[in-house]
Amino acid sequence: MSKILDICKISFTFGQPNLTIMKTRFLFPYWCRFLGYALFLIHIPVLLLRKVLGFDVPGQDISDGIFSSHHLFFMTTTLLMAIGLFLAAFSKEKIEDEQISQLRLDSLQWAIYVNYVLLVVSLILSNDTQHILFLNLLVPLVFFIIRFQWKLYQNNRMLRKDENLR
Amino acid sequence: MKNNIRIERAIKDITQADLAGLIGVSRQTINTIESNRYVPSTVLALKIARVFGKPVEEIFMLDETD
Repeated sequence: MSKILDICKISFTFGQPNLTIMKTRFLFPYWCRFLGYALFLIHIPVLLLRKVLGFDVPGQDISDGIFSSHHLFFMTTTLLMAIGLFLAAFSKEKIEDEQISQLRLDSLQWAIYVNYVLLVVSLILSNDTQHILFLNLLVPLVFFIIRFQWKLYQNNRMLRKDENLR
Repeated sequence: MKNNIRIERAIKDITQADLAGLIGVSRQTINTIESNRYVPSTVLALKIARVFGKPVEEIFMLDETD
């Protein structure tokens, strides 16, 4: 019996030598943050180009299928933005420990709250579903990134203050 | 929960950065624990206690609100 238990133990712990690895399984490497910010920055000139070229005129060129220039431009900017924000939000910190994971979870909770409140309010006040959807794509990640980075900044500031005291 | 990591560090004469390096967390984490802004997991508490060579109860104590 104990042999079976041992085998179970081995097979369950195989490839997971410690907890920290398990906890950070779903995060991108540290450098992905900069790639994420870069993609987000690139999306702004492309978005401006889209506005300048006038692909956003309502009623024009819409419903021409997946390969219409309107839709292609829309997909490019949206994908650049979404992937950029995603990478920036979910990449590892330099030193990834349990306090950081806690902070990340707290920030995620706040982001979901804010997103839900905004979603409900915008659903009540407007019926522009396309923009509501777009807002819904943007708000959770942007709010998460800002809140998480703000908390990290606060921690760093307190650490510096503490070190200066001594 | 209260703790006396700051005192134990002074006795052992190590900085927050030294302690952080010894148990493999960031300096910020040690700082947040010392200033009671973060309650460490049992694993982390045991690691800190091991560095100071004392039982966990001598480093972390419950306070009235717990």
